Amino acid sequence: MDVRLIEQTCKQTPLYDVCVSILKSDSRSSKADVTGLALIMVDVLKAKATGTTNYIKTLLRGNLKGDVRRGLSSCADLYNTVLEADIPVAIEALQKGDPKFAEQAANDAGIEARSCESSFSGHSPLTESNKSVQDVSSVAAAIVR
Amino acid sequence: MGTKPSHTGISTTASDLEHAAYSPLPGHSSPASPRRPLKGFAGIISSCIFLLALVALILDQSQEPSHKPGKDEAPALTPKATSFSNISGPVARGVAQGVSAKSSPSFSGNELSYNWTNAMFSWQRTAFHFQPQRNWMNDPDGPLYHEGWYHLFYQYNPDSAVWGNITWGHAVSVDLIHWLYLPIAMFPDSWFDWNGVWTGSATILPGGQIVILYTGDTDNYVQVQNLAYPANLSDPLLLDWVKYPGNPVLVPPTGILPKDFRDPTTGWLGPDGKWRITVGSKVNGTGISLVYTTTNFTDYELLDNVLHAVPGTGMWECVDFYPVSINGTKGLDTSAGGPGVKHVLKASLDNTKLDYYALGTYFAENDTWVPDDPEQDVGIGLRYDYGRYYASKTFFDPVKERRILWGWINETDTANDDLAKGWSSLQTIPRTVLYDNNTGTNILQWPVEEVESLRLNSTDFDGVVVEPGSVVELDIGTATQLDILAEFEIESLGLEETNEVNGLCGSGATDRSSFGPFGLLVIADETLSELTPIYFRLANSSDGSLETYFCTDERRSSMASGVFKQVYGSTVPVLDGETLSMRILVDHSIVESFAQGGRRVISSRIYPTEAIYGAARLFLFNNATGVNVKATLKIWQMNSAFIHPFPLDQIH
Repeated sequence: MDVRLIEQTCKQTPLYDVCVSILKSDSRSSKADVTGLALIMVDVLKAKATGTTNYIKTLLRGNLKGDVRRGLSSCADLYNTVLEADIPVAIEALQKGDPKFAEQAANDAGIEARSCESSFSGHSPLTESNKSVQDVSSVAAAIVR
Repeated sequence: MGTKPSHTGISTTASDLEHAAYSPLPGHSSPASPRRPLKGFAGIISSCIFLLALVALILDQSQEPSHKPGKDEAPALTPKATSFSNISGPVARGVAQGVSAKSSPSFSGNELSYNWTNAMFSWQRTAFHFQPQRNWMNDPDGPLYHEGWYHLFYQYNPDSAVWGNITWGHAVSVDLIHWLYLPIAMFPDSWFDWNGVWTGSATILPGGQIVILYTGDTDNYVQVQNLAYPANLSDPLLLDWVKYPGNPVLVPPTGILPKDFRDPTTGWLGPDGKWRITVGSKVNGTGISLVYTTTNFTDYELLDNVLHAVPGTGMWECVDFYPVSINGTKGLDTSAGGPGVKHVLKASLDNTKLDYYALGTYFAENDTWVPDDPEQDVGIGLRYDYGRYYASKTFFDPVKERRILWGWINETDTANDDLAKGWSSLQTIPRTVLYDNNTGTNILQWPVEEVESLRLNSTDFDGVVVEPGSVVELDIGTATQLDILAEFEIESLGLEETNEVNGLCGSGATDRSSFGPFGLLVIADETLSELTPIYFRLANSSDGSLETYFCTDERRSSMASGVFKQVYGSTVPVLDGETLSMRILVDHSIVESFAQGGRRVISSRIYPTEAIYGAARLFLFNNATGVNVKATLKIWQMNSAFIHPFPLDQIH
């Protein structure tokens, strides 16, 4: 594992600790160049978004107040965009070598997560998930850059 | 993905809204009947009435200013003493408040995520800017003129409103404004462009043969350059294209990474009779412009030297290289050169997503280019456009002898919004490019004259005075499709100067100082809950000279969350004796603003929720503290360009 590459790369992101802890604990980073590290981070973003989507589905099966249910439905739509658009665009752009679209897509994932958090007028049941997605997306966007 | 209802139900809603907007609002007397063009004399009368009204307002601060002039008076001006800076929150007079400019999509913690309606989305589509009927577009490609038609190709995703599956979309026009969609010109169907038919340029050879060089992303994710040419040169529509069987014609040379080699330019002839093209790339962090020579566009020689390089600028995408005439009267063919000619070198910087250009001298003997001012070199100096703008490309129009510039304008809303509304991105109105032989330091961009064919009725305003801290509505009818020419004069009030300037455009139009900001509020609703200021602001610089900033402030363009709310702008040269002037093309969700005849340009995307359809208004504003502003304007309603598919079935 090229620890130095990881540390150097993560220094250029707004959340050094998040970046380093994710990359150091992922075995794929041992053989990765910067693009590879970016792809790992996008993959982690995908995992977090998938996890949040599943959690939303679980919550929606329960007995919920109207505004919470509405917020969760909004979030389901927003995370669908992250999984169906942002992640594939980021991966494709990194693989093909047109990184600006990957940066834009990673940033957009964070925006969708923020929109989700704002969908709740009262308490949000997704605050931690949304924050996690926002954090990883800002790190991914920074690595791409 | 998008399960939102289609557009077919929208037109009813839109016209309902339009009718609703003309009925009198409570508290106002009946508004004037549908606006008629204002003759100059009536304009003077209305100005006098307005001035008298202003005097009355000054004498009695408590008076409610919402009375509209009666029907017999010229109805064009509605004075308002309320300043929109008051509406946005208390701002101390004379001292600019420091508010940090937001540089990314803005979220106050309290905003709920926005529930867009189909009416709002529908409104965002432009009336006279080029955009496909649906889905994603990015870079303009291979613009050219052939047998009576202007051709535009563009990066196009036929399947989705986000980037991917890139093909070459195609459209034609006889006048650069009224476009007709044609079938897709090139698909990624060969191993040498399997992962993308990316950006490229056309070269017209003497004799009329057309060659296109474009970047293909191969099945192994290597960026290569490919040759394509029309299947049938006598087809004015150039419907079908042939990819050279021997593709790729260029692969990444030694020392260049396979993902740093793209966007070949139009070719130009050298003194030895060979063609040159240039391809942008980078080595470590230095942006470079590789040069190849060729006689036949199939075989190339890489030159040892690059055309130019600038350290620290990163990857150069969409390089463009073309001559301009120093006398600044017409455009030049790409191969032109010699005395009286300068060359523009331009790059789109991948790192910052900004387009930069520089003026300089091309040495044909050794294919190098040197900037006039190394401090204003490519990537560190001037930009074509200080707003949302990228991947621009020029071509030479042989009919009217013009150098014409295309630029891609991306959305600044979210991917979720784009998927919901089913489309993403616009092209600018094509702009002519001329050397500015008054300043000698920049080019001038101006919308092609053909856009003026969309002008409908016009309204004149002569010498409208706008006092500090006030807003004046301009009664011009529907305010969503406009061509505005405006000139501004300032008259000092003799007050003590306070020139706090938070850099450039400050933190937006509410950042008040002695000499600005002042200008126009476009796509604003009656209560100014949404507005987009486009303005000048003058300030004394550290060396005592007067600097003029030209800016667009998106911070209150929309109440929706998740959309960009940037403050864009730049200094603009204003020479002795020149009046401050701007031209603004308003077209729904895009606003293109030109200062001092096109010395500086700002393109902005806005997504209002209230200031749409009949509710959109136009205002003058003056947020300066120390000057009155006198504005003279000519404003046209703009017709739609009715961009639609070419009726191919009718030509057989």
